[in-house]
Amino acid sequence: MVNRRRSSLWSFRDLPIARKLLITLLATLTAALVLSGAGILIADSLLFRGYLQNDFDTLAQIVADNTTAPLAFNDPRAAAETLAALKARTHLVIACIYRVNGTLFATYRRPDALYGCPSSAAQPPTERAGGDQTISRPILLTGRRIGTLVLRYDLAQIAERRALYGAMVLGMLLASSIIAVLLSSRLRAIIAMPIAQLVNATRAVADTADYGIRVQKLSEDELGSLVDRFNEMLSVIQSRDDHLTTALRDLETALSEAEKARKRFHFMAESMPQKIFTAEPSGNIDYFNQQWTEFTGLSFEQIQNWGWTQFIHPDDLEENIRLWQQSIATGEPFHLQHRFRRADGVYRWHLSRAHAMRDAQGKISMWIGSNTEIHEQKEKEEELRRANDDLQQFAYSASHDLQEPIRNVAVYSEVVARRYSKVLDAEGQKFLGFLTEGGRRLATLVDDLLAYTRAGAVEGLPGTVNAGSVLQQTLATLGEAIRENHAIVTADPLPEVHIGEAHLQQVFQNLIGNALKYRNEDSPRIHISATNQGAAWRFAVEDNGIGIDPQYKEKIFGVFKRLHREQKYGGTGIGLAICQRVVERYGGRIWVDSAPGKGAIFYFTLPHLAPQARSTATDSSAG
Amino acid sequence: MDPVNQIRLRQRRQYTRRFLRNLAVLLSLLAGLWQRVGAADEQSLEYQVKAAFLLNFAKFTEWPSSAFRSADAPLSICILGDDPFDGVLDQMIRGEAINGRKLAVLQIKRQPRPQTCQVLFMGKTQKDIRRTLADLGSGVLTVGEEESFLREGGMITFVIENRRTRFDVNPAAADSAGLKLSSKLLSVARTVKK
Repeated sequence: MVNRRRSSLWSFRDLPIARKLLITLLATLTAALVLSGAGILIADSLLFRGYLQNDFDTLAQIVADNTTAPLAFNDPRAAAETLAALKARTHLVIACIYRVNGTLFATYRRPDALYGCPSSAAQPPTERAGGDQTISRPILLTGRRIGTLVLRYDLAQIAERRALYGAMVLGMLLASSIIAVLLSSRLRAIIAMPIAQLVNATRAVADTADYGIRVQKLSEDELGSLVDRFNEMLSVIQSRDDHLTTALRDLETALSEAEKARKRFHFMAESMPQKIFTAEPSGNIDYFNQQWTEFTGLSFEQIQNWGWTQFIHPDDLEENIRLWQQSIATGEPFHLQHRFRRADGVYRWHLSRAHAMRDAQGKISMWIGSNTEIHEQKEKEEELRRANDDLQQFAYSASHDLQEPIRNVAVYSEVVARRYSKVLDAEGQKFLGFLTEGGRRLATLVDDLLAYTRAGAVEGLPGTVNAGSVLQQTLATLGEAIRENHAIVTADPLPEVHIGEAHLQQVFQNLIGNALKYRNEDSPRIHISATNQGAAWRFAVEDNGIGIDPQYKEKIFGVFKRLHREQKYGGTGIGLAICQRVVERYGGRIWVDSAPGKGAIFYFTLPHLAPQARSTATDSSAG
Repeated sequence: MDPVNQIRLRQRRQYTRRFLRNLAVLLSLLAGLWQRVGAADEQSLEYQVKAAFLLNFAKFTEWPSSAFRSADAPLSICILGDDPFDGVLDQMIRGEAINGRKLAVLQIKRQPRPQTCQVLFMGKTQKDIRRTLADLGSGVLTVGEEESFLREGGMITFVIENRRTRFDVNPAAADSAGLKLSSKLLSVARTVKK
């Protein structure tokens, strides 16, 4: 039962909308008509039954009233005449008048009546016609009962009315069904057609993927707005489809461009003599060029990602990994000299560099690195350094060992001049003077040479010194020369710098000493200042002396380079060389800015970088 | 046949027998009655009917209030001269009332005074009816027994037709006396004088 109902519902659900509309219309109409018809019929049956009863009550009253006289004067004929007039009431079956003693007085009987009046009022009304109604009324005269009137009527009228109503309902049903069918064909045009159009359009879009299809709008109701929404949706889909197609094409182009670029890069990388690699932002190395596999004798699969750690020299590995991870974390360039094991097991020095490539958003997209073999260069450097060290050692020991005999020459020539001046003639004394002078100059020269060699040596680990206080000490040392020359020395506040105190004092002493020495007729004015250049402090020593011809700007920093004859300006010509050696020892630079007669400004820089780190880097490059 | 039905059958026979015996007794009684009635005065039956009619005439008639002495005065039916009703009328009016008035039966010998009688019956024995009626005045329903009664100015008169008691009416006379006779009364009259 439930299944059947569901299946019938389902089949209704599957009907075309036009058919549904028709069925709905018909069902609604039928229900409305049948229900209202039934309601009217039931109400009318009840009301009409009451109405009939009232009607026949009234009739009985009139008849009873009109038969008082015949009863009072015992005139059954007159009563029968009165009753005969009742034949106009076709639903009256019988009318009976009984005397007060119950005997029959007068009767009326419809010709087709199936029964007549009972002969006595006491007799119950016949039960043969079950639907007939009985009304019994006393006939009163001046309040006294003189007889009884009994009426019986049938309910055929109700049946007649029922038949009439039924026929009306049926007729209306028929008429409204015709109207419903006509309406539904109209509704089909109004409702089902646009839906069918939509369905067709949807099918066409699905079949052809042509999003340019549009549905024609037939009305301004919900279906019309549905069509509008559908069309909007189609245009949105259309534009999205266009965008998608374009984006796909762009993507394909970009991909092929990227592929081309990758191929180009790989080709370039393969054709370079250097070892090239690329790494993901995470540090995994995803490409090594052929030079790598040839050098290490390992396959790409063996050295990709972190497999490369196996050919790094064990002594370099820890630092290598630390710096690489630091670069990955910060994006700073990677820079390291380290040793790789060649296929034959020999370690060779390489200079490795890697830079992060960033996309438009600044995000690291990959690392590109190169490794240049610097083994031979490194060996040459080592040789050079050793030679330099030997030379320095030689210069130091030579000048150190020379001090003693030269001092002897100087001392003893003075002793001879003092004690034996009477013995010597004028020419002998003149030669002795040359000897004494030469010995003195030789001693100064050896002292300076010794200072120069010392300037290249590192005196332990220098801390920070206050350049201002170093300058004050220097000025105290030079105090006599400053006073003799009537010089004015001024200085800005000077910073703390990383340098050995004695070294900085050497630099200041040489530069200020030069400024005092190479003066003109004016009294010397010397100014010392320092500016922060970000990575380093730049010191300046400015004077108003004779200046330097620009063509000698480089030359003056060489050992024993002198621009003037000794007679005019004394000195060994080694002071600026010492300054340069000291400054460069601490990673700085020294130069001069000057013109003849315009004074000179000597600049030198001292990096902020702690000598500790720099010395480590230098050590590793040296080691 | 089961015992219960046997008992019923026996009972039914007993009832039948008893009924027949009672019927016989009743028939003999009726026969006796018939003889007595036949022997009785046929006139008394006729006057019983006439007494009933007389009462009913009053019921179908309207009097003006001037016809009564007072508001609670009874409606009096007067019998002039000999009384043919032999007390039947007195029995009939017992407990009756018309329009709230009690009924009374009066035996009078001569012309009644005004407002005494509302119905006046004049029997066959009455002489000189014309004069009596002429002197009567208004407010009295006059009933007689002779065919000539209406001609002499009476309002209703009894007639015997096919051994049935009926009556003729002269509405004009009643009208001139200030009385209204119900149309129902007229409808059952034998003839109505025009």
